[in-house]
Amino acid sequence: MEPLTFALPKGRLQEEVLALLSEAGYATDADVGRRLVFQDRSGELRFIMAKPSDVPTYVEYGAAALGAVGLDVLREGNWDVLEPLGLNVGVCRLSLAGPAEWRDRNLRLHSGLRVASKYPRLAHDYFQAQGISAEIIYLDGSVELAPAVGLADLLVDMVQSGRTLVENGLVELQIILPSEAVLIVNRAAHKMQFARIEAIVDRLAAAVVRRKRMAV
Amino acid sequence: MDNIALRRQRPLGLTDLFGEQAAAYAGLERTLIEQFERWGYRRVVLPTIGYDETLSTQASPRLREQLYRFFDRDGRELALRPDMTVPVARLVGTTLYDQPFPQRFYYTGKVFRYEQPQAGQRREFTQVGIELIGAASAEADAETIAVAIEALSTLGVDTFQINLGQVEFLKSILNGRGLSAEALFALEQAISRKSHVEIQHTLDALEIGGEVAEVVLALPGLCGDLDVIARARHLTASPAAHHALDHLAHVYELLTLDGHAAHLILDLGEVRSMDYYTGISFHGYVSGLGFHVLSGGRYDRLIGHFGPDLPAVGFAMSIERALLVATKPALKGADLVLPACEHAACRRLARLARSLGLRVELELLGRSGDALANDALARGADHVVLSCDGERCLLMDAGSAKPRELTYDALEAEVRTWSR
Repeated sequence: MEPLTFALPKGRLQEEVLALLSEAGYATDADVGRRLVFQDRSGELRFIMAKPSDVPTYVEYGAAALGAVGLDVLREGNWDVLEPLGLNVGVCRLSLAGPAEWRDRNLRLHSGLRVASKYPRLAHDYFQAQGISAEIIYLDGSVELAPAVGLADLLVDMVQSGRTLVENGLVELQIILPSEAVLIVNRAAHKMQFARIEAIVDRLAAAVVRRKRMAV
Repeated sequence: MDNIALRRQRPLGLTDLFGEQAAAYAGLERTLIEQFERWGYRRVVLPTIGYDETLSTQASPRLREQLYRFFDRDGRELALRPDMTVPVARLVGTTLYDQPFPQRFYYTGKVFRYEQPQAGQRREFTQVGIELIGAASAEADAETIAVAIEALSTLGVDTFQINLGQVEFLKSILNGRGLSAEALFALEQAISRKSHVEIQHTLDALEIGGEVAEVVLALPGLCGDLDVIARARHLTASPAAHHALDHLAHVYELLTLDGHAAHLILDLGEVRSMDYYTGISFHGYVSGLGFHVLSGGRYDRLIGHFGPDLPAVGFAMSIERALLVATKPALKGADLVLPACEHAACRRLARLARSLGLRVELELLGRSGDALANDALARGADHVVLSCDGERCLLMDAGSAKPRELTYDALEAEVRTWSR
């Protein structure tokens, strides 16, 4: 049978997701190295390496039947894919952060608030819901710089340990979205390969549960 | 952007079709129309523009946002139709409501949605489909699905399937819980994403537990053959839910009689557009395509917005999506190319060939001999008249090395033996 294509996010999550897949029975050879396409040993999955924000695109179009991507990336876009399982790796949070003096301020009463973010859509939705009027300034990286140089008052970004914030003299003000890597599945593939894909979901779910038990 | 550049542009999300694509588009549309006619459906031709108030009837919040809107001269809000079903419902509800039932209609037409353009998703696309009005029976549902299966089979793909759901099952389970439209939508979205965690969160937020929560959590796994119905039956004692399952089983059995079971998957997790559909709902998938190519279902409460309540069921296929996977026949050249000369015999020959259904092209650029032969044969012509004097002509056939000379009488006799 043809292997199912699985889109992996390059970078931060890549190793963690591959390790989890290996525990679920989809081990890859150690010498995968920098290859962009490779198979697992059972031949059930064919992995492709993609930029994290491209993973949902591959899956939505059906170029990949499955994929793994951070919930933050997934919610920032507007992709029509299935999300059967949280993988409990890459756990982090999307947070509002800024200089310490903003800690107890009522943001609703600040008109003309400027917020730097790599997540303009999630930031916008959050401020809308809170009734805060803010101008979102889109940045593609090093968002922590923005308050220091006067580009923005605050920032919305992913926080894992919080160390980067501390190093830049910033504090976490509010958690907007708890995030982790999630398994995503193409709608049509799920319909047309139901048993095969459900089996993969089940094995990954079991691996996630085993890890959680070990951690306790 | 300056004006000259804009003049040469197509707005985002629109496309031009030509060559093989345009031929495949027209061919697919024609094939589907012929199929619908064989089932007794009749054409309706409806306006592209309507009042916003008409076209937004029962539209989901998402579809409402996607309407192209503008004003008429009296300041009333108009829109381009985002689908074909609502215009059909308006026609039936206001005009044809007292005519004999069932009424069977088919349509083909452009619809318009302000979407993020991507593969198979354009801002202007073509829906070809049917509506069967005035029959609420399982037989009517089965007929609609059988026509949909036939439509999928014309695409020439390896495998295809219909995922058949029944929104009444979930609705009857949730009935009486007093859920707001927003709550229902949140639940529908979580189920549709098959996200166990999100379903659980949504149930918790809505304070739904017990048997109802169990059924909702089981929905994504209720996908397969007739066994699905047995499993679903065990989950609840609700008579309304059992009735919904009985209906679905009946539809499935009717389709099995016609040998369609191999293309059918029962899928109770298919709950999109719960506020619109009132019974079965289905999506058609084909191998090689990451999204559905047709969708449909029963909508018994739509026509009532325009006139008396009437049961209705239908489906629509997107031709643009289907073309991504459909086998495309190669473009065929002319059967006969001949000079645009003034000889009565040549002109009579052209008329004769066309009346026989052959494709005849006139050479309009004054070429003859090798120049004409090379061009016409390269474009796929079967036969080319290279020169003529009104009595005899020099005919070149595709695949032969040399032209042959023959009289017009002989050529006429030969033309009668050609076929497209």
